[in-house]
Amino acid sequence: MENVIAITAKDISKTFHISEDSHNTVKHRLFNLFNPPTRKDVQALKLTSLEIHKGECIGLIGRNGSGKTTLTKVLAGVYPTDTGYVKINGSTMLMNLGVGMSHELTARENIYVSGSVLGLKIKEVDQLFDEIVEFAEIQDFVDTKVKFFSSGMMARLAFSIAVKAGADIMFLDEIFSVGDMKFQEKAVKVFEGSWIQGRTVILVSHGMGVIEKYCNRSVFMKNGQIEFFGDTGKAIEYYTMDNQ
Amino acid sequence: MVLKILNDWFKGSNKFERLWLLAKIEFKLRYYENKLGLLWALLKPLLDIIIYYIAFKVILKNDIPAFASFLFIGLIIWNFFLESTTGTIQILSVKKYLYEYSNMNKLEIYVSTLLSNSIGFFFNFVMFLLFYNIFEKASTGLSFYNVWIIAVFVNLFVLSLGMSLILSTLYILAKDINQIWTVFTSFLFFLSPIFYKLSTFKSALPHFDYANPIAGIIINARRIMMEQSPPDFRLLIFDYGYAIVLLTIGLIFLNKLGSRAAEKL
Repeated sequence: MENVIAITAKDISKTFHISEDSHNTVKHRLFNLFNPPTRKDVQALKLTSLEIHKGECIGLIGRNGSGKTTLTKVLAGVYPTDTGYVKINGSTMLMNLGVGMSHELTARENIYVSGSVLGLKIKEVDQLFDEIVEFAEIQDFVDTKVKFFSSGMMARLAFSIAVKAGADIMFLDEIFSVGDMKFQEKAVKVFEGSWIQGRTVILVSHGMGVIEKYCNRSVFMKNGQIEFFGDTGKAIEYYTMDNQ
Repeated sequence: MVLKILNDWFKGSNKFERLWLLAKIEFKLRYYENKLGLLWALLKPLLDIIIYYIAFKVILKNDIPAFASFLFIGLIIWNFFLESTTGTIQILSVKKYLYEYSNMNKLEIYVSTLLSNSIGFFFNFVMFLLFYNIFEKASTGLSFYNVWIIAVFVNLFVLSLGMSLILSTLYILAKDINQIWTVFTSFLFFLSPIFYKLSTFKSALPHFDYANPIAGIIINARRIMMEQSPPDFRLLIFDYGYAIVLLTIGLIFLNKLGSRAAEKL
């Protein structure tokens, strides 16, 4: 079990090219053929390699702007990497505050679509449906369009889908700031239950308590660079030092 | 061997289910949101037919037999192409929620949207069959050649998919591809034999039935459905060629440009 690899990332890096004036129409491109836009390169992720095993819970810590979100998006296969390659073994799901739901669809439809995207069959979603709705505490709004939801309801729904349907590899970006205290308790309990077993989880958080409790290995990032990858205690030490 | 793989693919994965689910939801979003609902989907081609009928039959007095049906089949094919290309230019932006948080294959988004358009096409096609066989006085009735419509529709589907892939990935680079394509399609509309007599079209624009893939598809659909004859096979093969080339280019674009959609849009 320990040796099955969930994600292999070899020599990955990511640079964003930010141009100041938008050359994103044909007209613009033609008129400014000899006047190329001034570009600013932001190296969000410096050359790095890592390997994540199946069933591991990996913590990902670092200060704001250290490249955590970029790393999760590259590892999840949402962003293509500039160099090297990422090999993903299974379906991935990235979860942060603005989760992947269509505002035009109802909660019911979103549950089915997300469940299906995560690799479940319709019948399996049928079975999970009530559980998801109950966990999210949105029983009275099942057929309401998500755009009328409060941000808390939306985040709870997304979290419930993630927990109940779940992809093989989950990237959880600051999910413990979702919902009220009661919901947070429920969310943390999930990590203590059987849910976590056999699943690969990459946990992004500024709450060291959670990271310390659930992750054996952690990544510490600074300025787009993975400074340390290994024992969680040590990673947290680096992080605390960086914050001083 | 191949059959086994296909079988595993259908049974073992939820891909097909997912495509169908997404297509159904897309269809519902498009037609059940407004009060007229599904009626609108059926009404639109009828209204189009009335407009062109008045223009070309009543005013210009052309002598095409069964002109209403002639328009009908041409327009539903054209509308499918238009909806599947112009209607999907912004698809990567509209459906961002599907691929932004997971490693879902983007091609599925396209196929499901085109499947949803196919449901619309199917309803319109059934209406055409009813109209042609019940109300059309000059109708020649059903024939075995009608089955060929499946091959023609697959051709139309692949062609539209290829074009949709190309346009929507170019949209990432150039937002005004939308306006350019709108002008191009209105040009193409008048260069397709939708309301012209085929012989007039052919003599005015020689070889254009081969140069314009939509023209060939419409010509063949009419042969199959209204003239009791097999499709023009040379034309059919030609149009399959177009469709496959465009699809290949589209898939290359999706790989090269589409993979950057999450960060660029």
